[in-house]
Amino acid sequence: MGFGDLKTPGGLKVLNDFLADKSYIEGWVPSQADVAVFDAIPSAPSTVQCHALRWYNHIKSFQNQKGSLPGVKKPLGQYGPSGVADNTATDSKDDDDDMDLFGSDDEEDAEAERLKEERIAAYAAKKSKKPTLIAKSSILLDVKPWDDETDMAKLEECVRSISMDGLLWGQSKLVPVGYGIKKLQIGCVVEDDKVGTDQLEEQITAFEDYVQSMDVAAFNKI
Amino acid sequence: MMALRELTQGDKKVPVLHSNNGPALVGLVTIAAHLAQEAKRPELLGGSAEHKALVQQWLEYRLTKVDGCHKDDIKTILKDLNSYLEDKVYLAGNQFTLADTLMYYGIHHIIVDLAIQEKEKHMNVTRWFDHVQHYTGVRHHLPPVVVLRNRVYTSGHH
Repeated sequence: MGFGDLKTPGGLKVLNDFLADKSYIEGWVPSQADVAVFDAIPSAPSTVQCHALRWYNHIKSFQNQKGSLPGVKKPLGQYGPSGVADNTATDSKDDDDDMDLFGSDDEEDAEAERLKEERIAAYAAKKSKKPTLIAKSSILLDVKPWDDETDMAKLEECVRSISMDGLLWGQSKLVPVGYGIKKLQIGCVVEDDKVGTDQLEEQITAFEDYVQSMDVAAFNKI
Repeated sequence: MMALRELTQGDKKVPVLHSNNGPALVGLVTIAAHLAQEAKRPELLGGSAEHKALVQQWLEYRLTKVDGCHKDDIKTILKDLNSYLEDKVYLAGNQFTLADTLMYYGIHHIIVDLAIQEKEKHMNVTRWFDHVQHYTGVRHHLPPVVVLRNRVYTSGHH
């Protein structure tokens, strides 16, 4: 989680991509999550980062109410897209008092550098020690439609809408099987003890309007 | 006591609100605005004069451009909304208004049929739509539209 260093263009880009399909950092109303991230940004994002700028201007309009927005402020590294390394740069103020939205923090730059270096070292040490204990498999599924008039884009959307803990959808392609009919070949990575092929089959074939049947084309242990 | 009925005007059907104490009211926006006032939720119609006008602007858009539109108009509507919503979270101002509700109902049938790449192309509309449909009390019986990011189809913007 985390956006990286929000004081750099790299961090702002992560924020921008994250906000492309979201109005708020967390949930569907402005909350302390938005305040936390807002406070970490030195100035308004440029117009190139249109999503971040949209969010920034919107949150700015709540400055009078920021203390009363719902939720609890968490450390910056707990917000944002999953899968991004948490090397959030922090400033020296650890207290929970609300920071002045527009105040300048001159003294914390040297501190921030030192903290950042410490965090990077800690992260590297953690990463080298971490063993991959979770058993995963890569499965290739064949999803067959009823006929050549079935809307394959819709079919794919239905399949991808299936979400389970331990299931990650991958690439897909349409493979012709004859008579103008195409089957959807879609890959996924599953955690063995959380997701089974029977469950997947049940959920996929539940879309009776589009799916005629489903087969496992390939099953590999990772 | 209020009752909602339908009236046929030419080739269109319009809603009519009958109540015991007052005249019958005709028209979607008229009724919706009246109910917002009756429910003591005037903020749904906007705060400042400018804000109120903006809400009205989008209510008018819903009636004139969205309702009864042809298939060819859909592209224009999506384009209009997408560029308008690029730097906005709600249609009018910084809070949820009747403009968002009625536009949501108005374009639901369009969004529900959009393919993934179309949703990605009009990312701002998709974002706004997903936001509104999660707003308590808005979606009611309408089926939720699944919004999934698919980075294979990048929007034409960047």
